[in-house]
Amino acid sequence: MTRWLIRRVLVSIALAWIVATIVFMALHLVPGDPAELLLSTGGVSADPTAVAELREKLGLERPLLDQYVSFLTGLTRGDLGNSLVDDYPVTSEIALRLPRTLELIFAGTIIAVLIGVPGGAYAALHRGGAFDRIASATAAFLLAVPVFVLGTLLVLLLAQTLRLMPAGGYTPIAQNATQHFTLLALPAVAIAKGLAAIVFRMTRASVLDALSRDFVRTARAKGLSPTRVLVRHVLRNALTPVLTVLGLQMGTLLGGTVLVEYVFNWPGLSTPLLRAVEARDYPMVVGIVLTISGLFLLINLIMDILYAVLDPRVRAS
Amino acid sequence: MMISRRALVQGAAAVPFLSIPGRAQRSAGILRYGLSAFPPNLQPWVSTGAAAGTVKLLIHRSLVAYDSKGQLRGELATSWSIDEKGAWVFKLRQGAVFHNGDPVTAEDVKWSIEQIGGEKSTAYMRAPFQSISAVEIPDPQTVRLVTKEPLATLPTWFANYNTFVLSRKSTANEPIGCGPFRIAAQERGTSIELAPFDKFYKPGFPKLKGIKFVVYADDNLRQAALMSGDVDIIEYVPWQSMAAIEKEPRLKLDTVEGPFMCVLFNASKPPFNDPRVRRAVAHAVKRDDIVKAAFFGRGKPLEGIPITPGTPWFDEKLAQGWNYDPARAKALLAEAGYANGIQATMLATAQYGMHKDTAEVTQQYLAAVGIQCELKLPDWPTRVNMGGRGQYDLAIHGLSGDSNDPDGLTPYLDTSQPANYSRSFGLSAPRTKELMDRGRAEFDLAKRVAIYKDMQRAALEEVPMAGLAWREQGFGMDKSVKGFSNLPGALTTSSGGTLEETSFG
Repeated sequence: MTRWLIRRVLVSIALAWIVATIVFMALHLVPGDPAELLLSTGGVSADPTAVAELREKLGLERPLLDQYVSFLTGLTRGDLGNSLVDDYPVTSEIALRLPRTLELIFAGTIIAVLIGVPGGAYAALHRGGAFDRIASATAAFLLAVPVFVLGTLLVLLLAQTLRLMPAGGYTPIAQNATQHFTLLALPAVAIAKGLAAIVFRMTRASVLDALSRDFVRTARAKGLSPTRVLVRHVLRNALTPVLTVLGLQMGTLLGGTVLVEYVFNWPGLSTPLLRAVEARDYPMVVGIVLTISGLFLLINLIMDILYAVLDPRVRAS
Repeated sequence: MMISRRALVQGAAAVPFLSIPGRAQRSAGILRYGLSAFPPNLQPWVSTGAAAGTVKLLIHRSLVAYDSKGQLRGELATSWSIDEKGAWVFKLRQGAVFHNGDPVTAEDVKWSIEQIGGEKSTAYMRAPFQSISAVEIPDPQTVRLVTKEPLATLPTWFANYNTFVLSRKSTANEPIGCGPFRIAAQERGTSIELAPFDKFYKPGFPKLKGIKFVVYADDNLRQAALMSGDVDIIEYVPWQSMAAIEKEPRLKLDTVEGPFMCVLFNASKPPFNDPRVRRAVAHAVKRDDIVKAAFFGRGKPLEGIPITPGTPWFDEKLAQGWNYDPARAKALLAEAGYANGIQATMLATAQYGMHKDTAEVTQQYLAAVGIQCELKLPDWPTRVNMGGRGQYDLAIHGLSGDSNDPDGLTPYLDTSQPANYSRSFGLSAPRTKELMDRGRAEFDLAKRVAIYKDMQRAALEEVPMAGLAWREQGFGMDKSVKGFSNLPGALTTSSGGTLEETSFG
C-alpha cells in the first residue's frame, strides 16, 4: 500500500510539472508582448524606447530557458513570482481569490444536492407521473442551456426587470453577511444548474434500480413503513453512485466557474486569470493555471486513495 | 408535501426585505461608479488606459486641467504664458499641499517634469517631454520651461491624465499627489474607494463624501448594474443599451462624439505604398453602414481627417474629402494599375465587437470596388503585436486624439515616428508631417488655422490613415447625479476629472 501510494503521489507531481511546463512554453509562444501591452492600453501608442526599458526591467530580455529555470527554482520554494503588471506576488493573489472560487463551487454543490437528490428520489417513486415527466424535461433543458445564457437571463429577470437582486458583485462576509449571501445566491444557482440535473438523473436511475432489488422487497414484506424502506434501504444504497459522480463533477465545476464568475462579477480566480491572459502577464497565468490543475490532481489523488482503501483490487492492478 | 398558506404568505412578505440587503444602498454622499476595467496599475505617469485615468485624475493634480467645456483652466498653475525668449512660464498657486501635508513647490514641479522626460522613464509623455531642454525656477512661485523648438501646445500636455505633479518624496510604489481625493481602500480587481482630501486647495471641493469605483468588465452587466440601481453612474455605455437608458425615467444619458474608427495601411510594400490606392480605399466605403452596424446609429460618418467638429480648424468641405464614391475608387485603382483588383489581408480584432463589425462592413465595400480582403481577427494582444510588426496589408483601428487640437493627432498622422500598432506601417506622408510640425510651432491662432487646413489637404492626398466613423462615447447616470460632464470630443476619456464638482441633487 505504501509503495503504491508513493508511486501515485510521484505521478501527480510529475503531471503538475508537465502542466506547468506546457503552460509556460505555450504562453511564451503566443504573440503579444506584456511590456508593449502594459504601456499602450486603450488604443494609445507606446514609446518604443520606454517599451525596451520596461522589457529590461521585467526580465523579458533574458533567454526563455533562463526564465524557465528561474520559474522552476521559484516553484520549488513555493514562489510563483510577481505579476508583470503591478509587481504583486502571484501567491498572494491566489490566496485572496481561491477561497471565493471554492466557496462558489461548494455552494453550487450543496444547492445541486438539495434539489437533485430529493427531486430524483421523488421522480423515481412516482415514475411516469406528472412530476417525473416535468422534472426530467427540465433536467434535460438545464443540461443543454449554456451557463452564461442562464446567468444573463437571471441577471436580466431578477436584477434588471424585477430589481429583486443585485446584478452582481461581492461583499466580504465579515463586512455584511446578509449581503454576502445575497450576492452569492445567483452565481451559485448558475453553477448548480448543470450539476443539479446530473444529480437528479443519477438519483432517479439508481433509486429505480434499488427499488427493483430483492432486499427492498424483503424489507417491504417485513412490514416496514414506506418511509423507513425508502430512507434505510433504498436511498442508502442508491446514493453511492451519486457520490462518485459528485466527486468527478467537482473538478469540472472548477472550469465552469470561469464564465459564471465573469457574468456575475464574482471576484474569484477567473477574473485575474482572464485579465492576466489579456495582458500576457505570464507569472500570473502560470500561477493560476497551476493552482487549478493542482486542485484537479489533488481531487483525483484523493479519489484514487479512497477507492484503493475501499477496494483492494485497485491496489493489485 | 403541501406548502401551508401561512408559509406562503410569510415567504412572499419576506421578498421585499430580502432584496434590500442585496442592494448596495447609497450611503449619503458617496457616489458609486461602474468602471469598465480595473486599472492595471495607478502609476501616475504610465499610460494604463482610460479607466485608470479616471481614478488618477481624482487623486493627482497637474499644472492645468480641462473645465466642463473642455477649455484649459489653471490647477497648480494660476497663469501661463510665453516670455520674450520663447520659453513657457507657469505661475504657481499658493497654498496647495500634497497628501502628506507638504506644500507644493516649484521644486516638485521641476522634479516631476524631469522624471517624466528622464532617460529611464516609461512615462507616456516621455518623448514630448524630452523636447524640454531646461526647467528653471526664477522664483519659488514660477517655473520656466525652455524648449528645443517653439511649442504652441505645450500647456495641453499638462492636462493629459498621464502628466501629474508629484511630491519629490514619492517613491515608485508610493506616489504622493495633491488631488481632491485619496485612496481609502482598494480590492485588487474589484473596487477602489476614494475619500475626500480635507486640505485640497479649492475650498468647498470635492463635493462628494466619497467615491466607490466598482469594476464591471462585462458591458451588459455594467448596464444591468445601472438599471438595477447598484451603481449611480457608468462609463462606456454599450451602444446597444443607450436607447434603454434614455427610456428609463430615473436615468439620463450623456454622449459626445469623440473617438473614431479608421483604416491603417502597410505601405512598406505594394499595393498600399501608392497613395492612389489608399485614396481608392478611402472613397470606397459607405460610412453610414458602419455607424449602423457597429454603433447602432450612435455615431457619424468620418470622411476626412478626424478634426473635431466645432473647433476652429474644422472645415466642412475638407471633412468630406473622402466622400463615398465607388466610381472614383475604381478609377483611382485603374490609374494605379490595379484595374484587375487586389488581394489583401485586413487585420482587426474579434475581442472588441466594434472593431470586428467595422472590419466586416469595410471588407464588403472594398470587395465591391475590387479589393478582396481576407479578415484576420486575433485577440487584442496578438493584434497589437502584428500591427507593430507590419504583419498586415490593411488594419482597422479605433482611436482617440490626445486633445481636440489637431496636434493631438500627431501620434497617428506623423508617420516618421517609429513603427507602432496604432499608426500606418512604413508609410511616408512628408507634407502632412511638415505641416503638423509647423502648426505646433505657430502661436498665432489665425495662422494655425490656415496651416491645419493645408495639413488636411495634404493628408487627404497622402492618406496616412483613412477615417471611417466617429463613435459616440456615453456615460449613463442616475438623474440625481449633478455636476458631472462628458467632455467634448477627444477629451471624453478625461471626463472623470469633473467628479470633483459632482454632487447629488
